[in-house]
Amino acid sequence: MEYSKNHKQIVEDLMAGRFILPSNKNFLELKEKEKFYEDFFKASFGHDLIMKQDYAFLVSDETNEMLSRDICIFFAILCYELDKDGRNFLDLINYSEFEYAQVNDYFENSSYLDVVRNNSRLRDSSTRNEFMDSMDRRNIIEKTGNQKFVFTAAHRNFTDFAMELAKTKISDVEA
Amino acid sequence: MRIEPKTIIRFTLEYFDIIRDMFDAQVAEGLLKQEHLNDIYSKHNRNIESQLLEYKILRRVGSDFDFRQEYFLFLKFILEEFRPLLPEHIEKYNYSITELFRKIKQDIFGDKEVLDSRLKNLQNEIREFVSAVEHNTISLLEQTRALKANLEKVDYREKVQRASFWIDYYIIPLNRILDVTHNESVISKLYAISEFVNNKRLNFYDEGIRISFEHLYFQLIQTNDDLLKQSRILTHELLPLIERIRTESTILTGFISFLRNPYKTDVPKLFKRKNNMVFSSNAALNAKAFLEQFAKDDTIYVEDAIETTDRWIFDKDYFKDKLKENLPVENFFDWASLTLKKEYRNIETVKLFALTTLLFEDDLQLEFDEKKKNKKIKTDEYTLKVPNIAVSNYGIF
Repeated sequence: MEYSKNHKQIVEDLMAGRFILPSNKNFLELKEKEKFYEDFFKASFGHDLIMKQDYAFLVSDETNEMLSRDICIFFAILCYELDKDGRNFLDLINYSEFEYAQVNDYFENSSYLDVVRNNSRLRDSSTRNEFMDSMDRRNIIEKTGNQKFVFTAAHRNFTDFAMELAKTKISDVEA
Repeated sequence: MRIEPKTIIRFTLEYFDIIRDMFDAQVAEGLLKQEHLNDIYSKHNRNIESQLLEYKILRRVGSDFDFRQEYFLFLKFILEEFRPLLPEHIEKYNYSITELFRKIKQDIFGDKEVLDSRLKNLQNEIREFVSAVEHNTISLLEQTRALKANLEKVDYREKVQRASFWIDYYIIPLNRILDVTHNESVISKLYAISEFVNNKRLNFYDEGIRISFEHLYFQLIQTNDDLLKQSRILTHELLPLIERIRTESTILTGFISFLRNPYKTDVPKLFKRKNNMVFSSNAALNAKAFLEQFAKDDTIYVEDAIETTDRWIFDKDYFKDKLKENLPVENFFDWASLTLKKEYRNIETVKLFALTTLLFEDDLQLEFDEKKKNKKIKTDEYTLKVPNIAVSNYGIF
């Protein structure tokens, strides 16, 4: 079996819980050899490779639920506050640059301040900054400068979750 | 008595602000209530009710009023105040156009006046149809943009409702009307009419009718362009814009629902990083994967072992004794060269330098004459320039 020259990097990135994005040259390789990598991760570690149109990531049976929940809370509050501010949050998340300070302002003045204060990763600006750094390490955001970032396509994993949740709620109400 | 048209136009120009307020009131309420009219008159400090009735701009509806249809449409057009028509309203043109076309084909050799009149009616129907489509697109686009800008601060739930409603009731059916690939769409029928009309404008036996066909044909070409433009706006601008509003609002609905109980909702799976310990259950698989990665059989080159020689160790005492035996020495480096040659047959640089360390011994006295020229000594590697140093014993022996 001939492994690709970036095999080690692909495995390392995915096993580190990173999202692989189209801007990374390994994304194309992963896409081209999707079936191989699906089988590889399943047979070797029992993990599932999730290949979306513009991002890829691994999921394991043992999930990092706490982190995922905190990321969902982060997105939920940010989107809610941006909308409250009369801004089109989807456009902003897709195309705009954010500053840590600006995000911190939204959280400090949030209507969900009780949720914010009760969350160890989001409770104050210092923990939030660390949290944003960890999202950077997972490629959910990409730093564009000191304390500045843009969201990557990986944010869709969480906005899609919200869409699905809304659809479930709506169908529950209709039923 | 017939009123001069220019008088009416001058009147509408002079009192346009009042008429506009009335128009807005009717758009909002469906008719003009007397109390609204009174408010408008007081606002502008002018009552023009009698002229409005005399010029047949308004008509009485019980105790209230409304604009006559002709004026209402005129104002609607110049103020671009279009409300989207339900597609079934537009769809009626499908029947009228189809029916007129059927009759034209059927009685093509019938009465010329009737044929000419039908052709003109068909032109009118097509004109109205295009106009209705244009107005719908304009009004939907305006309303969508306003919803996107959200200056009214519309609640996200209402946004979803409005966006979904417009998509389902207006945009998708309107798109169907403009779908060229669908045989029953109005636009497909217009293509068929255009083909027929093109043929007749060239070979119909009566010149007058030929000219009418010609007019209809050019109108159809223009109509085709206009409808394609509307269709493009619909599919490339309006639909994505409205879809975006719907998506955004749905996401927000989901997030708000999640925030109601963030710790009791299932969240997306996220990979949990692990340290791979040698005693973990996956260690064997990890090791296998790791080894497989490097399992490629590369050619291995094994180099011959390098022959080693005993390392020379400088025996200082031995050489010091040798030097002392020869003291006094006129030139230390001559002595060193000679000694090395005697001992090892050649002069190695490293050995010469080792012997040089004898010059730092305390019990030896050194003399250096600056006038004497430096000497050259050739070692196995270099040619060294060395000073002339005389060595003698310290003190009197």
